[in-house]
Amino acid sequence: MNCEVCQLKELEVEHFEIREVLRCILHTIVFHRALGLVRPKDVDLELFEITYVQCGDVELEKKIDEKIDHFISWVEKHPNKKSQICLSFYEVKSKQPSWFTNKTERLYWEQWYVNLNVTQHPKHHSSKSHHTKLIVDPGESATEERSCRRAMVEASLREVLFQIIKFVNEKKDHVPPISEGVIYFPYEITIPSSSDSAFGMDMIKRMLHSGHPTMLS
Amino acid sequence: MTSTHTNSHTEAAKMEQVITEFFYKSLLIILESRSSYVSSRNYSGEQTVSSPSSSSSSSSSVRPRDKWFNLALRECPSALENLDLCRRSNFEPVVVDVILEQKPLDWGPASFSPTSDLVRNLSSKNKNSYFWNSDQQDESGSEMKCEKIIERWFVQHESRKGRDCNSGNRRSSCNNLSALYKKLILMLRSLYVTVRLLPAYNIFRDLNSSGLICSFKLVPRVSSFVEPLTRKEEVDMQRFWFTPVDTSCGRLCLSVLYHSSISDMSSESSTPMSPQFIPDYVGSPLADPLRRFPSLPVSHGSPSSLPFSRRHSWSYDHYKASPPLVSFSPSPTHSESNALVSNPSSLGLPPMSLPPHPPETSLAHKRNTNFDEYCPSPNFSASPSPSPSPSLPIYIPRTHLSKALLRSESAPVNIAAPKLANTPALSGKQNLPPCPPLKITRAGTSRTDNIRVPAETDATIEKIFSFGKEDCWKYSGVKAFSNSSPRISCSRSSSRSLQDDFDYSEFPCPFDVEDGEMMDPGSRPKSYVRIGNPSDPNEAGLFMNRKSQDAAVGALVRLLKNSPPLRQNVSLNFSEASRPEILSNSIPKQSQILEAVTVEYAAAPNIASFRLVASKTTTDALEELRGYKVMKNLLLSEGGKAYTSNVASAAEHSSTSKGT
Repeated sequence: MNCEVCQLKELEVEHFEIREVLRCILHTIVFHRALGLVRPKDVDLELFEITYVQCGDVELEKKIDEKIDHFISWVEKHPNKKSQICLSFYEVKSKQPSWFTNKTERLYWEQWYVNLNVTQHPKHHSSKSHHTKLIVDPGESATEERSCRRAMVEASLREVLFQIIKFVNEKKDHVPPISEGVIYFPYEITIPSSSDSAFGMDMIKRMLHSGHPTMLS
Repeated sequence: MTSTHTNSHTEAAKMEQVITEFFYKSLLIILESRSSYVSSRNYSGEQTVSSPSSSSSSSSSVRPRDKWFNLALRECPSALENLDLCRRSNFEPVVVDVILEQKPLDWGPASFSPTSDLVRNLSSKNKNSYFWNSDQQDESGSEMKCEKIIERWFVQHESRKGRDCNSGNRRSSCNNLSALYKKLILMLRSLYVTVRLLPAYNIFRDLNSSGLICSFKLVPRVSSFVEPLTRKEEVDMQRFWFTPVDTSCGRLCLSVLYHSSISDMSSESSTPMSPQFIPDYVGSPLADPLRRFPSLPVSHGSPSSLPFSRRHSWSYDHYKASPPLVSFSPSPTHSESNALVSNPSSLGLPPMSLPPHPPETSLAHKRNTNFDEYCPSPNFSASPSPSPSPSLPIYIPRTHLSKALLRSESAPVNIAAPKLANTPALSGKQNLPPCPPLKITRAGTSRTDNIRVPAETDATIEKIFSFGKEDCWKYSGVKAFSNSSPRISCSRSSSRSLQDDFDYSEFPCPFDVEDGEMMDPGSRPKSYVRIGNPSDPNEAGLFMNRKSQDAAVGALVRLLKNSPPLRQNVSLNFSEASRPEILSNSIPKQSQILEAVTVEYAAAPNIASFRLVASKTTTDALEELRGYKVMKNLLLSEGGKAYTSNVASAAEHSSTSKGT
């Protein structure tokens, strides 16, 4: 079975937007892969005029929030860096145990890469200005800039969500059959590690589990 | 052969059932996110329920129909009504038009039907025809409305011609069925997410959650045959295709035409919104919302043509109406423009309007009765100001209004005087306590003008106040209404001279503090300066004005400087009266000492003005100093005696204990 990979469009977000953006994207993807019986839950974003859908599973929500927290911690240690979160869906297959592999094997059949560019926008210069003679409030232009930027992020996020929908619609054959009693497929969320070597180890681990090199588009 | 034939029949029947249920489910997903009052968003209680299969307790809440495509949704009556469309054997296409309707101005709450807006019209040819159910007809008789198709959904099964749908062996058809089912699940998941990403959903969400009676509503219209949209309409719309899913005899297709941007409808109004007088404008949360103020031009720019009250800027409650929404006039060119609501939160709000209702505003309609939190300081009363300039809100003490200072240095404002507590017209809604009378006495005469607000309705009182050369105020009238508090309009005039009398004997002091302290003179704060006792609390006549503490102090100081000096006998009597009081107590308290030096004019009804201690002569001051010295010596002696006695008793005790 091929592993379908989807590289989502890069989003430029600020630190305080990370949580909402990631929740929106990750839950949207998981909802499309929660093919068991669900009662969808609509969630309105606070920062943007977007409503996304969760599959209503509390455990899933908790796990996703934990991963987001880890990611935010990583971002705080590595500011102004581009980062990537990988959401992978796999099947568990049993195999012959060997020296380097376990008894079970993970067959990744889909991977989603969420690309984020977390920026820290400098404060508007005019906000530090002490010129009181200015009639026009310098804060107004900062507010306008902020709202313009917010609108751009919202539009980009909407594009990413439509990208997910299109991908889900176009590629259906690789999705495994639905198991009885299973709500969503087993998944894994990989965030950047604190060191590059650790990130490389993660890749090697994934290769050992999957049994074949990860295909990157 | 027979078994194969039976199996194929079974498979075909299953396929048909799957396709039918797909039609129904897709219709349900679209309608429940576009049709007001039947959305699953309204049933927030069930939103928190986790996945139905995760817990046994919630499994009972899953209906058999919910299990189709593993998507449990709230039942939608609109979709049920159109189930017949889905059950047709030939699977005719189903078209759902989502129409944004704009109601006319004279549409009132009575004509708004909370029932489902879904209308089934299989033979509708003219999409611009007036499309009303009999129970939704506008009671006002007006049929003029604007409607615009903002979305058009197509759900159809395209049959594959020239192939036998029932052919194939059992295993392959079974595999086909399970694969088809899986793909349809995925398609419906995408549909569910997509309907919430389109612009129409924001409109739906805000219309549904706010509960406001708006001039807009979304009307989904389900039909089998519709006229194609005009080229002009289609130019503004975008199409989104869901990847078709192959069935055994065709393919299921799902697509949508939608407006990608729905701009603000307020910009489409043909009549520009001119400033309008808001008769029921309330400038403070403490004021009665139904209170009527005297006419005052208010260039607020937010029209209120509806009979219901306008919401306040400080609260998002209580008022279901959204007056700015009804200011639009149906424009014949409306359909040609892009003007529809883009940001639902700004639905119909004029540029200079009050902040919109937050979407999640709970319309619990709780009256903001906790006015104390608006009070910046208990010392000052404020008057409602219709101007949008930032100003202190009104603080009206609930128990006692003896401390109103009626001075203002700003433009003429309407001053709201509270109504009497014993007024029968006052209901529980009134938050305003009774106010004490205000006495105004002219110098040299004994004329006293009482300003009172009578209990009876429609009483008019005219009083004139003057506070000084610079700030002369003329209170032109106080009008009491049956269901509102009396009001005093105040305008600035320079006709009064400085010598106009102002009797402060019964005039409440601007520095008065809390009501409780006022009622208990013994616990009066040190800085208290009381101008005069309020007399009969049953008499009304309170002027309240809003000003800052500093301005009030400045005005008072100015007044004091310009007022005639105190009479000698009063000051002497005062100082003499205070001394025996001090000397009579062996250990006078600090508060009493300070009270002695506080200027009090409670017993001098004919004092034209008051002033602080500065007017005393040097002799009086020296006498006071002597009095202080005496007091000091007394305190020291008393304290020394107490100390000595304590030490002696302690020594005695210790010697006694040592002896034992």
